[in-house]
Amino acid sequence: MTKQETTMRAFAIATLLFVPIAIRAQALTPEQTLKHGADMFAQTCTQSYCHGSYGAAGGAPRLANRGFTGDYIEKVVTYGIPGTPMAAWGQVLPLAEVRAIIAYVGSLNGIVPSANSGPPPVLSGEAARGRDLFFDPMHLQRCSNCHRVNEKGLPVTPAISNVPGNTAALRSMATPRVSTATIDGQTMPALLASRIPKEIKLYDLTSFPPVLRTVPPSGVKLTDGSSWNHATVLGDYSDAELESILEYLRAVKK
Amino acid sequence: MKRRTWVQFLVVAAIFSLYFQPSHAQGPTVISQSQIQQGSTGADWPSYGGTTLAWRYSALDQVNTANVKKLLPAWIFQTGDYQEGLQSTPVVVDGMMYVSSARSYVFALDAATGQLIWQYKHQPLSGYSPPTRVKSYGVAVADGKVFIATYDDFLIALDRKTGQEIWRVAVEDPFTCRCNMSAAALAVKDKVIVSGSGLRGFVAAFNMKTGHMEWRFLTVPGKGEPGNETWAGDSWKTGAVNNWFSGSFDPELNLVYWGTGNARPDFFGATRAGANLYGSCIVALDADTGKLRWYVQEVPHDTWDFDSNWESVLMDREFNGRMRKLLVHINKGGFTWVIDRVTGEVLNTYPNNDYINWVKGVSPKGELIGRHDVLENEPPYLVCPSNLGGKSWNQITYSPRTTWIYIPMYEMCNDIVVRPPLEGQPNYAGGGIWVMKPPPGHDNPYSHIDAFDPVTGKRQWRYEYKYTLLASMLGTAGDLIFTGDPEGNFFALDARSGQKLWSFQTGAGNRGSSITYMAGGRQYIATPTGWGSVSADIMSVLWTESEKWRMGSALVVFALPEESK
Repeated sequence: MTKQETTMRAFAIATLLFVPIAIRAQALTPEQTLKHGADMFAQTCTQSYCHGSYGAAGGAPRLANRGFTGDYIEKVVTYGIPGTPMAAWGQVLPLAEVRAIIAYVGSLNGIVPSANSGPPPVLSGEAARGRDLFFDPMHLQRCSNCHRVNEKGLPVTPAISNVPGNTAALRSMATPRVSTATIDGQTMPALLASRIPKEIKLYDLTSFPPVLRTVPPSGVKLTDGSSWNHATVLGDYSDAELESILEYLRAVKK
Repeated sequence: MKRRTWVQFLVVAAIFSLYFQPSHAQGPTVISQSQIQQGSTGADWPSYGGTTLAWRYSALDQVNTANVKKLLPAWIFQTGDYQEGLQSTPVVVDGMMYVSSARSYVFALDAATGQLIWQYKHQPLSGYSPPTRVKSYGVAVADGKVFIATYDDFLIALDRKTGQEIWRVAVEDPFTCRCNMSAAALAVKDKVIVSGSGLRGFVAAFNMKTGHMEWRFLTVPGKGEPGNETWAGDSWKTGAVNNWFSGSFDPELNLVYWGTGNARPDFFGATRAGANLYGSCIVALDADTGKLRWYVQEVPHDTWDFDSNWESVLMDREFNGRMRKLLVHINKGGFTWVIDRVTGEVLNTYPNNDYINWVKGVSPKGELIGRHDVLENEPPYLVCPSNLGGKSWNQITYSPRTTWIYIPMYEMCNDIVVRPPLEGQPNYAGGGIWVMKPPPGHDNPYSHIDAFDPVTGKRQWRYEYKYTLLASMLGTAGDLIFTGDPEGNFFALDARSGQKLWSFQTGAGNRGSSITYMAGGRQYIATPTGWGSVSADIMSVLWTESEKWRMGSALVVFALPEESK
């Protein structure tokens, strides 16, 4: 092991052991996140053979003013670069720490934290209950299996744009994007995910959880409309619970 | 009997007599020819544990005790994914090898040459940060597809020939369940079975063709379900029971066997009074429906992190004068459970490790005797074995030739200090801290491979090693036991005596599972190399020498030189 790797590894183990105790996950404003990220960066990423003060380069490459995109920074900080001492900090540090460092390295590259990365809006009691239910692991069939809100959940569907007015409307809502696909003689309700010349990706909604199928365009027949309806995937949420969930969605969509 | 049937019988009998002679070391142990055929691999290595009986034993004997010294490397494959070493088991089907690496990458290789045919580099969900360190123990291959269970909770089916994605399904929403999958998927008839961790662990089956979920067995029962009453209050909601290892399948009984994780918090049991089903259990599930047929809870109300995730080895053996269908399972706490796999009756238990003090013993019926629980308000005591287990996940092998099992073990203890999860901290946290220590009277931990009679627990021989052995055992009809060590040595022992017959320096620590297969008339032995994993890193606390144990991620593949095979 090189000295650099040894240092990195020792540091990874040290942070693994101590940082989670030092920092509590809590909602920070974008400014606080940035400040925390700068502190973390100064204590860690700048050290020894690594990126230098303010990311101006040390033994490891310069990070400031490189034109990095947010996605790229997130990917490298979280997953590291294989075969280099750049560790996958996403596997070592708590999520809040990783987010803070990403925000700071973003700021070195002119990325201003968006409102989305700030703390969630203050929710009413019912909306907060709705949020917990939306992501509730105790519900095996839960909203977040298909819908992504505030960077959590699986993006099976496009972002939620319209929030139904009540539970009845939620159950009976029109789902014009759901079509009918036929693959190998099997017919299924389908949600188109992507289409490029050589392949089509679509979600088969026959059963839960939905299955993303990849097929050549010649292997699938798509027709508009489907007998599928949203009520079939609302799982074991009660009407009262669904009302809370709608309240949550109204609050975050404001 | 018709003449043709007679001829078939004689041919089959002749083939078996070539690679199976009854053990000379044992009495009249009978292992049926059909069992041997079912449990052994041949030219292929079709499933994670060899076959779904999980023997990790091959009927190949081109390489044997007489010529093993001539083994030489035939090819090497580097995955380029150096995270967490290479903890995988390759699968070989029809001359193609499939191996996965830590970040759920999959590589398809020509099994004879090591040429890369295709690779699948998994892209995790944007913004996803795994709750634990990533790893992948392997893939399943069936129905023209390769199935990988990824660390961000997707089950993905790839075309076996091209690596093109056919379907994928989010088994869980990883942003909210705090779960991940690492166990190799298990192909069972028309289904592929995966297991995972999280607030509620599960075993789930998906249709190979469509990806549709067929069933899901929750290892923590929900409100109103049998077993939920074994959790005080709402503790079931965070009980977790993480199932991060693969199971076995008996096609005749149509039962899937899975070892389950421990109840959480790991060491702090005060808030989860009760037995905590189905934590630290072996569960037998109907392969078609996922319905629970029976369970054996090895450690009720576990406060030592002695889960039951390790492999279940299925064998038919004589017990008290009668042939029984057995399941042999080694618990982290250092004992082997011998279970009737039809009924779930515990027939025998026996200790494997040298240092065990968390119980005084385990009755032959499987009851813990003289528990010494780890409690919050009592002084910590040196618990043996440690919470890493008397054995890690690296698997045993069962040889029908010697009739023995071969268990890799390490003798290591730990001080456990119990702490209730902090206010506002998730209840699934560990509930304590631990410090690894050598066993009493020793300056260092040590490890050993022991050959046991799997039914009686009678020890046959022992191979000792000064560091830790964290690579799986591979048994062959050449009467060889292959495994590797952290210093990089991959070696072969004589299955009957334990004597080391051959060793090769592979250049990196061994933390995976070697396999053997045939391609182009040549027997190959392939071992993953590259030191890594949580258990591996913890060794740095105990041995400064561990700095020398090389990381990496490569397959090193051996064969006899063409002229000498």
